[in-house]
Amino acid sequence: MPNLKDIKRRIRSVKNTQQITKAMKLVAASKLRKAQQAILQARPYAVKMMDVLNHLSARCNHDLHPLLDVREGQRNLLLIITADKGLCGGFNGNIIRKTAQYLEDNAQAENSLIIAGKKGNDIFRNRPVKITQDIIGWTKDFDYLKAQTIGENLAALFSEKKVDKVFMVYNEFKSVMQQEVVVEQLLPVVPENLAHQDNTFVVDYVYEPDEEAILDELLKRYMTVEVYRAFLESSASEHGARMTAMDSASRNAGEMIDGLTLTYNQARQAYITKELIEIVNGAEALKG
Amino acid sequence: MSQKLILTIVTPEKLLVSEEVDQVNVPGSEGDMGILYDHTPILTNLRSGQLSYEKEGETIALVVSGGYLEVTDNRVTILAETGEFLHEIDRERAERAHADAEAELGKTDITEEDFIETQKKLFRAIARLENSKNN
Repeated sequence: MPNLKDIKRRIRSVKNTQQITKAMKLVAASKLRKAQQAILQARPYAVKMMDVLNHLSARCNHDLHPLLDVREGQRNLLLIITADKGLCGGFNGNIIRKTAQYLEDNAQAENSLIIAGKKGNDIFRNRPVKITQDIIGWTKDFDYLKAQTIGENLAALFSEKKVDKVFMVYNEFKSVMQQEVVVEQLLPVVPENLAHQDNTFVVDYVYEPDEEAILDELLKRYMTVEVYRAFLESSASEHGARMTAMDSASRNAGEMIDGLTLTYNQARQAYITKELIEIVNGAEALKG
Repeated sequence: MSQKLILTIVTPEKLLVSEEVDQVNVPGSEGDMGILYDHTPILTNLRSGQLSYEKEGETIALVVSGGYLEVTDNRVTILAETGEFLHEIDRERAERAHADAEAELGKTDITEEDFIETQKKLFRAIARLENSKNN
């Protein structure tokens, strides 16, 4: 027979938890709205930028700019974007799993990581992989300027030939309920589908003022825009994932409270019945 | 008039225009350009200034600052840093920016980088002010 007092205490504790998860859900929902708007507005620019670069990289000479340089080397750099906080379902776990998978598949290569977010850092700190840089606390205030710094840093590592390829691993925002982990090659910039380029004759651009100047500016801009977009995608995904996770946590807490209340009532009834029997028995005994 | 250009203007903030148009006039870094159907592929920088496009006899103008123009297969893509339609321009803000930039450029201890940055700011403010005069 469960103790009435214990059950009551448990109900109260679950109720407290439910209140917290509900509050977190509301906070995530309001943050999500902002993040979602930001990513939806940033996407067209990034997509168009990508288009232009794809056209460009199919046409121009790849020796013209260090960021277009395709090298045979096996030194890969991964920028992985996780959150600073947990309690958002599989958000961080998926990124970490995908990264670990990648590291395993490319074990012969010389891999290094740049980790954004505390959660990713917590995991990979204790693993045998080189971490070049930590970006902790980015979720609080991320802006275009920070993306620029990160982008410039990546570009510098690449053009100084310290790494041969740069990838980004992040959660792409599909919908509030859905995120998808993507691994995207950032550098060198390669045309999307080489096969398609072979059978169509491509005319080179007329460049004004000149090819190199435009390329340089455009590529720098591209780095910033892509990094910025990836972080925005990740931010929107995080809030979406947290909202969904907290929603189901609140629901689970509700079910738990219902169950506990039922047990409590049954126990209470049993207790009353037991007391009644005792009283009746006592009265019978006195009569006799 | 079936020969139309597909014009897309985007800024980092949003998608501004996505339409079929007859002609696009842009402020290229080396001079203004008019783009018509069957233009050769081109990739160029833009400076701050007025950009306009013609559609069914109507001319619509906006002010852009910096960015790129790409033309391929009759698709005109403009990646601008900022872009506003003429009626959206905040003259007061532009005037303030103009004054600030001028004061900054007047200083003697300004670094090369800051100078270029501020100069861009000034051109942007001037472009906004000049083109919104008549409104």
